[in-house]
Amino acid sequence: MYNSQNPVARKEKLVIQEMPDEVLVYDLETNKAHCLNQTAAFVWKNCDGQNSVADIASQFELKSGNLIQEDLIWLAIDQLNERNLLEKELASKFSGMNRRSVIKKIGLASMVALPVIASLTAPTAAMAAACSGIVPASSCPGCNNGTPCTPTPGGGQGTCQGGSCI
Amino acid sequence: MADWNEQKSFSEKSISAGLVCFSAFGVNIAVEYETPIFTEIEILQNLKRIVPPGNQISESEKTTHRFKILTSDFDGKPVFEAFKEEEKIAVAGTKSLLFDLFESRFRLTIAEFAVGKVFLHAGVVGWKGKGLVLPGKSFHGKTTLVAELVKRGASYYSDEYAVLDEDGFVHPFPKMLSVRGIIDEFQQMDLPVETFGGKAAVKPCEVGMVLLTEFEKEALWKPEIINPGEGMLEIISHTIPIRYKPEFSLKVLNKIVNRAIITKSQRGEAVVFADLILDFFERQVIEKLF
Repeated sequence: MYNSQNPVARKEKLVIQEMPDEVLVYDLETNKAHCLNQTAAFVWKNCDGQNSVADIASQFELKSGNLIQEDLIWLAIDQLNERNLLEKELASKFSGMNRRSVIKKIGLASMVALPVIASLTAPTAAMAAACSGIVPASSCPGCNNGTPCTPTPGGGQGTCQGGSCI
Repeated sequence: MADWNEQKSFSEKSISAGLVCFSAFGVNIAVEYETPIFTEIEILQNLKRIVPPGNQISESEKTTHRFKILTSDFDGKPVFEAFKEEEKIAVAGTKSLLFDLFESRFRLTIAEFAVGKVFLHAGVVGWKGKGLVLPGKSFHGKTTLVAELVKRGASYYSDEYAVLDEDGFVHPFPKMLSVRGIIDEFQQMDLPVETFGGKAAVKPCEVGMVLLTEFEKEALWKPEIINPGEGMLEIISHTIPIRYKPEFSLKVLNKIVNRAIITKSQRGEAVVFADLILDFFERQVIEKLF
């Protein structure tokens, strides 16, 4: 049954690319790409507003054939929260706690892979090709020092130094 | 439509004064230029040098991207300026330098907006019918490595862009190799692939391996095969149209990461590592076909 306290996966303005063992989620609002491993993807897909965290934990146990702590699901929820992949942010169960010690505690008790979401900001076209040839001054922040660039403040060709074209 | 290389038809068909238009990979571009400072013939000659192969003349009404080349004055001296739409993208004291500066933005426009293709910033060679894609930023030895692979018999696809179609095949983008270190550390010299004893590929091929590698002095070759998800994130950072068409880009990249081996390793000098890479490619890709 739907409960407003249950987690709901965000679906709007996302591009979702299913992969054999992972899910790639591209956020059109922030231009960030998130790669959810199998555990994180399972949790995200089951955040439908009908399932409580306890329900998701039970479903995960059924699927994986392993007993798990509910904290494992909360760890995934926490990361989904951080990346704005839930409709509404859920209060973190681990607030005020050291993330590393939480992971250690859950990891030691768990026979399944911990949820992991790897993220990156997608580059602009210029950033993806950064440092190709003589770059526009606007690309200098993404280039190594010494990359040829234009225009310098004086209007000519220079080199990128500390993010500026000098 | 006439071929770009047919300069006669080009001038006959598509010119209005101070305007040349063409289409490459479905991207329609107009270049406006100031006359009589620039002449039609020098615009054509320079654009022919810097635009990618496979472009055609188009009608000006169809253009969606517009470049301008003008002259201006800086401290009483004439300078040449290039604009993309309203953004100033290059300023130079000579015309030839202006075209050099203009080049990367010009190609980048095509790479970003190409229809039905996804451009990765990568070198590409073919080996026994399979593609080896080498994503990487410039100044990280991409062209040097491509040249060394070509010297060893690999077919040349590109030293700048991997052009992927919707089925995940990589297409030739056989521009001349832009080699640094001949004039000085930064300036490029364009050399045909034949200079390296190689041949340009003429047909698309399936990607067999994506090798994420950067030059590191005294690095050891320790190839690590990474999973598709991690590979996808790595490749996204070299994907030119990822923001412009994320859905199509991800669909194409998904085909690549699920079919090809995604490998990561630092590498040292290209002259040494080219052999190691080809040996690895042979064992991981070619031998597994049989």
